[in-house]
Amino acid sequence: MFTVKDLMVPLSEYATVPKGSTLFEAVMALERAQEEFDHTKYRHRGILVLNKAQQVIGKIGQVDVLRALEPKDEDLEEIKELDKFSFSPKFVRNLYKQRRLQGAPLKELCITAAKVKVEACMQTFVEGEYIDQDATLDMAIQHLVLENLFTMLVTHKKEIVGVLRLSDVFGAVFHAMKEFETTL
Amino acid sequence: MKELEKLFARIMQRVNINLRELEFNVKPLIRNLIPLHQMSKFYAFYGVTPHHPLNFEFRQSSLAGSYFLGKCSTINSMLYKSDIRGDELKKKGDAFNYQGMEITVSENEGIDIGDSFLIKTLVHNFSHDPETLEKFFITNTLSTHYANIHGSPMDGSFLGPFSTVDLTTTNDCVIGTYSYVQAGEIGHLSVDPGTVWVRSPGAFNFLYRYPLDRLSGYIRFSAGEPVQGLFIDFVEERKEAFQQVFNVVNLELPISVPDTASVDRFAVIKAHTHISENVLVAQRAYLQNARLGKGSNAQENCYIINSKLEGYNVTAHGAKVIEADLGRNVFVGFNSFLCGRPNVRLSIGKDSVIMPHTIIDVKKPLDIPEGHLVWGLITSREELETNSISLDAMSQTTDSLVQGEMCFEGSGAAFVDAFRNRIHHILEANGAYYDGTRNRGHAQKNQNISFNTIQPYPDGDLAGLYPTISILP
Repeated sequence: MFTVKDLMVPLSEYATVPKGSTLFEAVMALERAQEEFDHTKYRHRGILVLNKAQQVIGKIGQVDVLRALEPKDEDLEEIKELDKFSFSPKFVRNLYKQRRLQGAPLKELCITAAKVKVEACMQTFVEGEYIDQDATLDMAIQHLVLENLFTMLVTHKKEIVGVLRLSDVFGAVFHAMKEFETTL
Repeated sequence: MKELEKLFARIMQRVNINLRELEFNVKPLIRNLIPLHQMSKFYAFYGVTPHHPLNFEFRQSSLAGSYFLGKCSTINSMLYKSDIRGDELKKKGDAFNYQGMEITVSENEGIDIGDSFLIKTLVHNFSHDPETLEKFFITNTLSTHYANIHGSPMDGSFLGPFSTVDLTTTNDCVIGTYSYVQAGEIGHLSVDPGTVWVRSPGAFNFLYRYPLDRLSGYIRFSAGEPVQGLFIDFVEERKEAFQQVFNVVNLELPISVPDTASVDRFAVIKAHTHISENVLVAQRAYLQNARLGKGSNAQENCYIINSKLEGYNVTAHGAKVIEADLGRNVFVGFNSFLCGRPNVRLSIGKDSVIMPHTIIDVKKPLDIPEGHLVWGLITSREELETNSISLDAMSQTTDSLVQGEMCFEGSGAAFVDAFRNRIHHILEANGAYYDGTRNRGHAQKNQNISFNTIQPYPDGDLAGLYPTISILP
């Protein structure tokens, strides 16, 4: 049976940037990680943000990058609140669409977003997003499903040593299923 | 005084407990807002008429102001210059229509105020909650200056200055300064200042939000500060005229009033005011050089100054009409502020509906065409374009409409009909259609009211509190 350690991406192989980097620097780090490490083994999708002591303080996923492209004006904040006043999802979607069409072109949004600091768009980890490197595959599955996670930080003696991704766990389960099927 | 302080602290605590989920603390907002030591100097009063059966109970409470027509109990509460008017409460045997169902009222409805502090608040109309037809409750609630609780039972809520909750059962909510909510039922909701929200579930939903930077000049309220802005200055400047009215027992009206009209003795009537047939002027209304055409009404806390109302006009609670000409059948909603200037007239065409909590403040003459729906903040012709629509065009809306800061979803026809029906009902209830025999309303029934005053303990531990009082026919 696999353990988390067998499936995780070691921290040393993960894309990281120091706190204070721009989103553009983070995206470049992701590209470098993709080029430097085994293409068949990992397809990097996220970037970890480290503090001066090289501790992980947050993570930027693909959706966070895309979210950074969304205009941040007050109008959009107000649209978000319409749900509170019982407007239908369809009405809210149409209003977003309308405001988007009236907004800045994508090129302009990309230029602006590239300069945003990573701290402004990263997700921080909370309790429940950590798992010990010696945990078994079934424990990892339960954790990912219960917490509805795509990645978890892997710990060993309170140190973060890697990242466990949903795709790697799924790969292991798929492999196990095939194996059991052929041995029956 | 000690007991009054304890009561005040207890009410704040109860409101805070109810609002803990919203992390809202009323203490810093109202701690120094009310001069508790003066509560022993005020008096309370209640109206007596043959039309409204007396049934009052006051226990462990401090009272100032009021009117109390109809059944009302006030327990562990403070009413500070508030106006509780229960002359439209449901009666035993009345049929209440709710979604096609006729529900019979099993006993006379009563207003039950418990563990609450209402500051210059108007409580009126009957409760529209089908679950509590016989009880219009206001519990664990703190309501601030010139707020309106209109047909809205509520528990555990805070109402900011000049806010209105209309026909909406409200549980554990914060209603921001100058916000208007008419939504049927709300719970655990914090409504930001300057929100105008009218919703009929399944039929329509209207929302307008004021730009707060511009609203703050008119009204603002924050912790540790008094209520500030043009609205409160406007009211304070005219406070003295009311003090004179409240200090005198027998008051001669300076104008003649037709037999079919009613001017409350606690209204301020200044010179050059004309009152036509079937007009109703409620207590705490202020008229100065105002011409009220047949069937018009000026409700509580409204001000009509240097203005002409053609006839069948509703000027709802707290609305202010200054240097304006209103065509026939114009409705001006709660706490609206319509302000022209000398030689800069504001004209509103007949059959127009000025939504509750609308501000029209112009420095150049402005004509609002007839049959229009108007909302929000308007200081120019351009803003009128953005914040208005003809009622006919509104009625054509079948899905959604976004205009400036206004969002609307649902049936425009249902929205317009709801307003028209309500305006008709208000005029009917107020006696605007009285023909000498039929359609008597408040204008005819409220002509002869006796007022009895009651007073609190003048000093000692109980200073400012009233003894337990039951008043029955």
